[in-house]
Amino acid sequence: MNHKGQNINRRRFLKFLAGIPIAGVLGSASIASAADTRYGMLADSIRCIGCKRCMSACKRWNNLRVERDELITDRETHLNANNWKIINLRADTKNRAKRYYVQWSCQHCIKPACVGVCPVTAITKLPHGPVVINEKKCVGCRYCFQACPWKVPQFDFEKRVTRKCHLCYNRIPLNYQKPACVAACPVGALAFDYKPAIIIEAQRRVARLSRPSYIMGLEEAGGTDLITILPARPEALGLIVVPKKVINQNLDKIRITASGLMGASVIAGAMHVYAQKTRHLDKKNDDHDG
Amino acid sequence: MITTVKQNIQNALDIIERSPALFIWLAILGAYIFLAAYAYLAALLTSMEILEFSVNLPWETLIATYIFLVAAGSGLCIVNALGSVFGMQRYEMMTKRMAFLSLTTILFGMLCIVLHLGHPERMPIYNAISPNFRSAISWMGLLYTIYMAVVVVEIWLLSRADIVRYAAQAGGWFKKILELLALEKLRGTRIGTLLEDPKLPRILGTLAFVSGASALSTLGSVFAHSESRVLWYGPYYPVYFLVSAIFSGIAFLLVVTIVSYRVQGDEMRPGLKALIFEMSQVLAIVLAAGLLLVTYRMAAGLFDPASRGPVLLLLNGSFSPCFWIFEVGFMSVLPIFVLIRAARKKSLVSVLAGSLMVLIGTYVMRYLFVVAGQIYPNIPEGVPSYWPTNMEAFLVGGVFAAFLLIYTLGERYLSLKEVKPHNS
Repeated sequence: MNHKGQNINRRRFLKFLAGIPIAGVLGSASIASAADTRYGMLADSIRCIGCKRCMSACKRWNNLRVERDELITDRETHLNANNWKIINLRADTKNRAKRYYVQWSCQHCIKPACVGVCPVTAITKLPHGPVVINEKKCVGCRYCFQACPWKVPQFDFEKRVTRKCHLCYNRIPLNYQKPACVAACPVGALAFDYKPAIIIEAQRRVARLSRPSYIMGLEEAGGTDLITILPARPEALGLIVVPKKVINQNLDKIRITASGLMGASVIAGAMHVYAQKTRHLDKKNDDHDG
Repeated sequence: MITTVKQNIQNALDIIERSPALFIWLAILGAYIFLAAYAYLAALLTSMEILEFSVNLPWETLIATYIFLVAAGSGLCIVNALGSVFGMQRYEMMTKRMAFLSLTTILFGMLCIVLHLGHPERMPIYNAISPNFRSAISWMGLLYTIYMAVVVVEIWLLSRADIVRYAAQAGGWFKKILELLALEKLRGTRIGTLLEDPKLPRILGTLAFVSGASALSTLGSVFAHSESRVLWYGPYYPVYFLVSAIFSGIAFLLVVTIVSYRVQGDEMRPGLKALIFEMSQVLAIVLAAGLLLVTYRMAAGLFDPASRGPVLLLLNGSFSPCFWIFEVGFMSVLPIFVLIRAARKKSLVSVLAGSLMVLIGTYVMRYLFVVAGQIYPNIPEGVPSYWPTNMEAFLVGGVFAAFLLIYTLGERYLSLKEVKPHNS
């Protein structure tokens, strides 16, 4: 028994040794470790009581302007340059009597479309998860908003840059503090941990529910680091429905650009034919002018 | 010093006395530019929100004007290639006008972007230091910079003789500047000989065509890459941008040429008239191709559940009156008939009317494209009004006025008038 166990261990050890160079070449080891060390956030709409303490804490930590009445419970709020996280009461279209507080903010996509389109690389996906805009570099073109499938980045008309939630990336290094909103939530509707732990927690919470629910962010836009538990599918709650694939893939961009270049080649060919077929008109035009 | 100032004022008064119409024209343009400067300054001092009719739509009138001007300029670059690259001698007589018009339209289109950006001063710095080669905007900026540089050299080559002539007439420091601009000291040297090489215009024309057409299709890609904007997304718009740029470019050229001759009271050469009628026929054909593409896009959109919403907004929703009247009527169906008839009847007025219709229709089409494209997916209920604010109108009016001012000065000092091609 013991001998057999040692055998398996040796085999495993040899497999591990053989796997090191392959993993090194393919980079899979680094990808796996990146997924393990990336942070994730959980927003549980079923547990949320709509107190908006998260909104308030977000504004305090990030020095954002507080508008009149916007922190009152049940008051409809919209994302803007001073509202990086919003909590709104949403009714399920199938059962309008049931209403839930749904939070909306940057979803911190694993492969963010906004990072791919920013012309000056002002947006970065940090290795530990947050998607952050460098406001000192942002030119204010608003292309990130057009590319974002969740329609989150908001233009600040006073500062003339685009702003959004950055998952308190500047808090995490301070003794591994949680984001301000998570720290402020009184009912544990928000949670912050390593991404795999957050997914397990979301699945555990959903499994314990006796009602239908939906986990948003596992597959949408190729996966996001903000996982939201919804009481119904996003379309039933009037939320933006995002395809379950990576948005703005490089290969797709190349395909679209190539169609334009092919179009230009066809036009060049048509111009050549036009020039060849109407060569006699040059002579005629000369004759007109005498 | 005082005598010189007095003399300059006297010279200016003499010019006004000789051509009061020109003075009135310049005064109107100046007033528009002043209003635009006021609007932009007010936006900088208060909030850029005053330049937007809705905060829910990040791209509005300025972006529509940008596409209109830049696409028309790029279309002119493609048409210009007929003479400079494909060797059609009759088109060569318009090369200088086309190159200058193309450069100015693109330049003032870029001005729209500068006015729209939150921090335009950062764009050249960070686009040079840390460009994002995955971003279509980055590529578009690079390609248009190359294109404009090539066209500046092309115009310089075509205007070199004029600069030398002005230098001979001028005196003092102005003469020195003009001589420097004409690179007179290089004549006879190896570089000077290279600059006078007859192959150079063709090489520059080819470079301008390649960079201009690529920049234009990249401009289409800026929109077509946005996967979350279902109306814009896909391989259709880079191609449609090329076709629509060609017809707006030809229409721009026809309007400007005919109006220039009318205003100055000059008689057109018969060769130029024949070319204008030929171009109006070409314009009608390109418009028909554009109409086919629009029909295809709308039909494809109706069959695709993802893009049915925005397509129905155009066909049957809040944008439908503008779509049917301007995009279908003014931009496609009406001018096709007017232009074919004009070519048959040899009527310059009809060519002007048809081309003007195309320009108006194209501007509205660009506006619809930008605004309607942003309704889905986040604001399917739309916004209360799609009418530009006064400040937006001032700014756009100012951009057009500045463009017309520069074009008027170019027409006056760069002798853009069509001459018989040198190799005919």
